[in-house]
Amino acid sequence: MNILIFIKQVADTEARIIIKSDHQSLEIENKYNMNFFDEFAVEEAVRIKEKNKDSQITVCTIGSQKAVEALRTAIAMGADRAFLLDGSKAAMNDPLVISKILAAFAKKEGFDMIFCGRQAIDDESANVGAMASELLGVPHVSAILKLEVMDDGKTVKVENEIEGGRGIFEVTLPALFTTQKGLNEPRVPLITGVMKAMKASIPLIDPATLDMPQETFAADASRVTVLSYESPQERPPVKIIEGETPEEKVKNLVKALKEDAKVL
Amino acid sequence: MPKDIFVFVELKEGTVRKVSLELLSKGKEIADCFSSTLYAVLIGHDVKGIATSIQPYSDKVIVVENEGLADYRWDTYTGVFEALLGKYKPYTVLGGSTITGKDLFPRLAARSGGAIVSDAVGIDLHNGGVKIKKPLFGGKVISWVTCSDDSVIFITFRPNSFGVEKRSLNGEVIEEKVEAPKDPKMNLLGAEKHVSEAVDLQEADFIICGGRGMKGPENFQILEEIAGIMGGRVGASRAVVDSKWREYEDQVGKSGKTVSPKLYIGCGVSGALHHTMGMDTSKAIVAINKDPNAPIFHYADYGIVDDAFVILPALREALKKTKEEI
Ligand SMILES: Cc1cc2nc3c(=O)[nH]c(=O)nc-3n(C[C@H](O)[C@H](O)[C@H](O)COP(=O)(O)OP(=O)(O)OC[C@H]3O[C@@H](n4cnc5c(N)ncnc54)[C@H](O)[C@@H]3O)c2cc1C
Ligand SMILES: Nc1ncnc2c1ncn2[C@@H]1O[C@H](COP(=O)(O)O)[C@@H](O)[C@H]1O
Repeated sequence: MNILIFIKQVADTEARIIIKSDHQSLEIENKYNMNFFDEFAVEEAVRIKEKNKDSQITVCTIGSQKAVEALRTAIAMGADRAFLLDGSKAAMNDPLVISKILAAFAKKEGFDMIFCGRQAIDDESANVGAMASELLGVPHVSAILKLEVMDDGKTVKVENEIEGGRGIFEVTLPALFTTQKGLNEPRVPLITGVMKAMKASIPLIDPATLDMPQETFAADASRVTVLSYESPQERPPVKIIEGETPEEKVKNLVKALKEDAKVL
Repeated sequence: MPKDIFVFVELKEGTVRKVSLELLSKGKEIADCFSSTLYAVLIGHDVKGIATSIQPYSDKVIVVENEGLADYRWDTYTGVFEALLGKYKPYTVLGGSTITGKDLFPRLAARSGGAIVSDAVGIDLHNGGVKIKKPLFGGKVISWVTCSDDSVIFITFRPNSFGVEKRSLNGEVIEEKVEAPKDPKMNLLGAEKHVSEAVDLQEADFIICGGRGMKGPENFQILEEIAGIMGGRVGASRAVVDSKWREYEDQVGKSGKTVSPKLYIGCGVSGALHHTMGMDTSKAIVAINKDPNAPIFHYADYGIVDDAFVILPALREALKKTKEEI
């Protein structure tokens, strides 16, 4: 099984983020992780490889040199090889551009399965998976909760989250799956894995060397432009509702919700 | 070219979802500014009857129905939209940032080479087009973005981003016949749906969320009763879901669902950043926690510092009374 994983390095949820005074750029504290939902993607691939020994797991990301850390984490978890696609020349704001580069890379490498996260926790877009599968002309199943490779090695049975419940699909490979919490429990890498990851050489790939025209991914190809960044509106300090008895507190709360907040 | 607007109408158990009515309301407002047409796009099997419920909100209602469209699938629905986009050439297509919207819109945007902005919370006019408001980093930053309009602009919005405006448009119903084949490489073997009368968590106006302070799954019964009185839903913190007291689909937060109800009440929820990221766009936030130093009080509008188990019965009775008065 030839498995490809797209991962993204994202700012940690605890990282401090400062909006620069011109409202045009952000300063992000140096705390980054592999995207939360991508850990399930790596774990699932490693589990498949544990059952089908002749599998190969390739991870890739589009990003800055720093994103190598996330790739190393994936290797420490059990991925075989990793590639960093140079994001410095790409229009990172536009999910279609990201998807085009990833699709071009996937086409070059070949694959039976692609895993990626349901969504990135920085942009919360949930776009890249479905977009890449469309560009590759393969089926996708979003937000999977269970996956089983059939004995023929050519089909998989998957369960995913659909509106109001679960869907169960049989999909002919090659195909793309986006992963989410509930699919598995991502492992904590063993020290041997970490050692292997430290030593792994991770090639940097210039998107221009992939089979796609420059104008499809260069910085000016972006269809999406950020006008400004703002801080969210701050809430006024909490009003603690007092009262002698629980009933009195509740009465005062309901009054405030009716008259003050006007939500009842 | 008129800047026509498409709204993808989502159905739940044969009725129109609230998020779709919100988008029709907002879409009409924008279409009026552009002097263009607002189209509601209704796809499914035997859905013509439902068109009557959206005609008041729409300039026109496009209905595409056949047996193969009974259940949502990205392959068939993308095919239908592809045909409609070719014929009507709208400026933008709006949809909910729902499980379905998140599955369909990116696939469609890639097929048509369009721009896409997902999980937005606002939209406004800008330079003869629109600008879109979108939270980043779990709400720590709000961004405004624009898209070039040389291709269709696809936008999905978080439910409860806009109000539903009463209108009386009586939009004309247009039936379109589109044959959209299923991808033979993907077979639906089955679906397990829990039939529930309750509104969708993301669409609920009222959410009462239980945390580890609720002590056990049996104590969520009173939260269910309160949600029932308010026509809302019970949510849960991750600690609760990890303890298997509630299902994952009830989880509010970074790794669960993002909600923005009119009223959110947290009971025995500490208010960790991962949790508040999923609910801090709620209109009003109430926290009930016995620890006056619990971080949730930094996010709440109103707080009660007390034992949830003594407050909740009183709250249930008070809300019941409020509802009876209305
Ligand atoms: C990557 C990542 C993603 C995460 N995603 C999410 C997410 O999506 N959603 C989420 O919720 N969390 C998420 N978390 C976990 C989050 O950080 C917290 O651990 C979790 O929200 C805590 O849940 P809790 O408030 O129910 O429990 P606790 O933190 O244990 O808080 C319990 C609270 O109940 C109060 N209490 C106890 N007894 C009573 C009583 N009788 N009456 C009133 N109050 C009482 C206590 O004072 C306390 O404040 C995530 C964590 C990580 C690392
Ligand atoms: N720059 C990137 N490089 C590699 N994979 C990415 C990148 N951006 C997004 N992805 C993948 O696509 C998923 C969804 O991201 P998004 O569409 O940005 O929410 C992520 O969980 C990753 O698996």
